[in-house]
Amino acid sequence: MVLTLPHPGSLVAFAILGLVAGGFIALATVDGGTPALLSIGPYLGRVLAFSVIQALLSTLLSLVLGIGLALALARRRFPGRDVVLAILGTTMVMPTIVAVFAVFAVYGRSGWIAEGLAFLGWTEGFSIFGYPGILIAHVFLNGPFVARITLDGLNQVPAEHWRLAGALGFTPAQIFRHLDWPVLRAELPGVAGLIFLMCFKSFAIVLALGGGPSRSTLEVAIFEALKIDLDFGRVAWLALIQLAICLSMTALLHWAFTRPPVGHTIRSLVHRPDAKNGRLKVLDAVVLTVSALFIGPLAFSVLTGFRTLLAVIDADLLRAFVTSLTIASAAAILACLLAYALASAARRRRIVLRSPRMAAFYDILPDALLAVPPFALTAGLFLLIRRLGDPSTAGFILLPLINGLAAVPFAYRYVAPHLLTTEERYGRVAASLGLTGWSKLTIMDWPVLKKPLAAGFALAMALSFGDFGIIALFGGTELVTLPYLLYERLGAYRLDEASSIGLVIVLFAILLAHVSGRLSHAGD
Amino acid sequence: MLVIENCRLTWPDFTADYTLTVPAGHLCAVIGPSGGGKTTLLHMIAGFEVPESGTLTFDGQNLLPLEPAKRPAAIVFQDHNLFPHLSAAQNVALGLRPSLRLSADEKRLVSEMLDAVGLGGFEERRPGEMSGGQRQRVALARALVSGRPLILLDEPFSSLDPSLRRDMILLVDELRRKRPVTILMTIHTPEDVADVADQMAFVADGRVVASGKPADILSSALAPRIAAAVSDS
Repeated sequence: MVLTLPHPGSLVAFAILGLVAGGFIALATVDGGTPALLSIGPYLGRVLAFSVIQALLSTLLSLVLGIGLALALARRRFPGRDVVLAILGTTMVMPTIVAVFAVFAVYGRSGWIAEGLAFLGWTEGFSIFGYPGILIAHVFLNGPFVARITLDGLNQVPAEHWRLAGALGFTPAQIFRHLDWPVLRAELPGVAGLIFLMCFKSFAIVLALGGGPSRSTLEVAIFEALKIDLDFGRVAWLALIQLAICLSMTALLHWAFTRPPVGHTIRSLVHRPDAKNGRLKVLDAVVLTVSALFIGPLAFSVLTGFRTLLAVIDADLLRAFVTSLTIASAAAILACLLAYALASAARRRRIVLRSPRMAAFYDILPDALLAVPPFALTAGLFLLIRRLGDPSTAGFILLPLINGLAAVPFAYRYVAPHLLTTEERYGRVAASLGLTGWSKLTIMDWPVLKKPLAAGFALAMALSFGDFGIIALFGGTELVTLPYLLYERLGAYRLDEASSIGLVIVLFAILLAHVSGRLSHAGD
Repeated sequence: MLVIENCRLTWPDFTADYTLTVPAGHLCAVIGPSGGGKTTLLHMIAGFEVPESGTLTFDGQNLLPLEPAKRPAAIVFQDHNLFPHLSAAQNVALGLRPSLRLSADEKRLVSEMLDAVGLGGFEERRPGEMSGGQRQRVALARALVSGRPLILLDEPFSSLDPSLRRDMILLVDELRRKRPVTILMTIHTPEDVADVADQMAFVADGRVVASGKPADILSSALAPRIAAAVSDS
């Protein structure tokens, strides 16, 4: 009998599942059992209702802003349009904690608007805590995301279709019906689902702008159960419910809204025939102005950090920068290694073993990781580490681990398509030459993979660098990252210092995202 | 009659200057190397490109001030002619009414046109459910149903295999003999149209280098350049 070793990707998949399951079991059994679900029923109902309502409103408003902006940008060419697109790209990679700062800086008690109103003699003030602040922050982060995705989709419409629309004399309504609407119908369900999921799980924004325990998402409720009440049983229940909801949504998104492949087309610049319509000119001007008034101040508020940047550079900031960099690098390396292992297992299943269902398992696993509540997983793993060793080191292990797992889906999207294409093109030649394992990696895969892998690495690093999640649990005198430092300064209403720290985080995240974007398109 | 005189278009890396006359009812095959300006010539006639100078008339009417929709020309591209969310009948109907609100007579006309291109019974098929040749037939039906007297075919059959390509060209020839239309068709393989085209124009470097009867063009001093253009494509 010949024993064959399992594929490394299979081992990685089982290790991830084992880690998640182990964490949850440790969490559920730490106090000898879990409380009855009914005992947290009313509280759970409130949290669920708030999570769903704020996520629905955030999604709806993000779609309205994003679609309007995308259509206006698709129809118009104007000086500075590229700058607008760049700003939209910037908000997409902006860490949530920096978005929180931006909301405080513009809409806060001593923000720009309050100062402006005070100058006009109106000193009543208004509160941004609760729905207003949460919705502003979510729409600020997600509206531009919708706009970019929709605009990319509209740019995929074949140039021939625009020419036909011109030749056939389509009215603006007919252009919307036959050209814009099919794109929106294809793109938006998936995008809306993703935004709903991210807002449903929202943590930093709701924690900072919620204004109290009555306005908590499940993620914040899990955090409070851990940090304030140390109620592991409640954490286990809340985490299981969140996991079930998010996994169902992830599965639905995968099953129902896979984007169709885009065929070859002429991509030359084509002017839309409806750009000349007078009413649309007015509508687009209104949409662009409103969007600029909403996004502009929030995006530029971070730039005020330049004024005090030199003043805040001290030992604390440098230490936090180095810590963030170290954690982000470790998380990115982990994310890339896991993504490569899973993608190569998926490739082997799909092409060599002709088992598309098993291949789909490896494809879905990275996205399923997004559904796992990070605080619950962290708490479970913390309990395991506590049994095995020194719990004071847990933060240094769990931060890169959890951030790395959270970045796997993004790294996977860079790596998997290239691995599949390489196998389709050279797999048979490699098999006939006997290339396997290391030799297959270095000779066949690496030349094609190095740029996507580097792109995935840079993006994973950008996400981890600006993350304000798990650090909220472990942050303190021993362990300080830049996002944690920013949160501390915001809590102390030291907005000038917060703006400078936010600026450092954003600039670094933008730099990494830019590198990622350049590398992902290199060689296209 | 289509008359193009010294129509000049300029880009940073390319300049075109066309002069060509195509008598009414003729099928003119436009041949030449890739990147030589064949498609630009058709796009200019359709109104997608506007020349800086020169004249462009059809049956005495100046086309240059007209929007693409107002020109007497219908165009078929190499690909992406059909809207994927509409049925074959709806795609054809766009040539009559972009609103798709058709009278009973117009619906009958659409069906007749699909019959004429050999796609009777395909009315409800979506483009994704049809072969490449069938999709191009639908596009051809739409161009013909519009009733516009000038049909521009921009390498419409390049992606089809040789025998199907030949069938489609014969179909175009058959259809144009039943209708008073003038056709300009860019094509990579001149021998496919040599026996059906009334006229052949060789376009290279943004100019109509020669124009005349296909047999004359193919046996002229340009023959080696034409052969080279065919092998390049």
